Amino acid sequence: MRADASKLSRSSAGFAIAAALAVLFNTGLAWVKDADRPLLNLMNDVARDSWITQGLADVVLFFGFGLLFSKLSWTERVTPNWLIGFLTAAVIVSGVGLFLWDALF
Amino acid sequence: MNVTTSDIILFAHASFGVLGTILAVWVFVETLNAREQNAQRIRRAALSVTLCMGAAWIFGGYWYLHFYPAERRMILAGPWPLAHSLFMETKEHLFLTLLILSLYLPIAAADKLYVNAAARRMVLFVAMLIAPLGLVVEASGAIIEHGVKVALLRSVARTPVNGGIGK
Repeated sequence: MRADASKLSRSSAGFAIAAALAVLFNTGLAWVKDADRPLLNLMNDVARDSWITQGLADVVLFFGFGLLFSKLSWTERVTPNWLIGFLTAAVIVSGVGLFLWDALF
Repeated sequence: MNVTTSDIILFAHASFGVLGTILAVWVFVETLNAREQNAQRIRRAALSVTLCMGAAWIFGGYWYLHFYPAERRMILAGPWPLAHSLFMETKEHLFLTLLILSLYLPIAAADKLYVNAAARRMVLFVAMLIAPLGLVVEASGAIIEHGVKVALLRSVARTPVNGGIGK
């Protein structure tokens, strides 16, 4: 157990990266669909409303990337502090980015 | 008193959001004192955050599709159009960020937090991100509802005196 004491399990690390990427994807998609009418119409067609489509895409991306990264050995080499920093930065970018986008455009 | 399906769904959405936020604080506090004895409790609390935020998503999504369009028209015609164009637009996407974090929390909490400092730190950070985000989303919901309220108040104030507030 001591050997594990300073690092995350592979699934925790893999899903942490996936969560950060899904958060950034969610933010980027919110911007792009606002600016690109054909994409917005397509997303409205897929699951009745673009927000539903976006939510489902986020969840699929999170689990898809999470399962993928959990299988890769390099996730074990990523330091926990880097993962925490990446995830926190992604959430801050998301919060500030979404608010500023809607405030300015 | 006439409680409609719309009211129940809206209150369920907000209540599950609040509950999920409170549970995230619980996970944070339990993780600060992580021991073998409370490991299972932390995992259950983390999973409860996921379930509550998931329920808030489903109820919120249903309400947004079926009942919000009328409120949106009202808000945009009222004195607080920003309640929709800024706060709802931001809230609906920020909630998805909150949902992703909530999905990740039980995965992070599955590690042995009582022996693993890195895993403990990760759970603390994720819970610490969920709680304030949950509060921001709840506050946005309150602003949106206030946007509806001031729009309704203005429309009532514009009706003839014998049909208005002072009747």
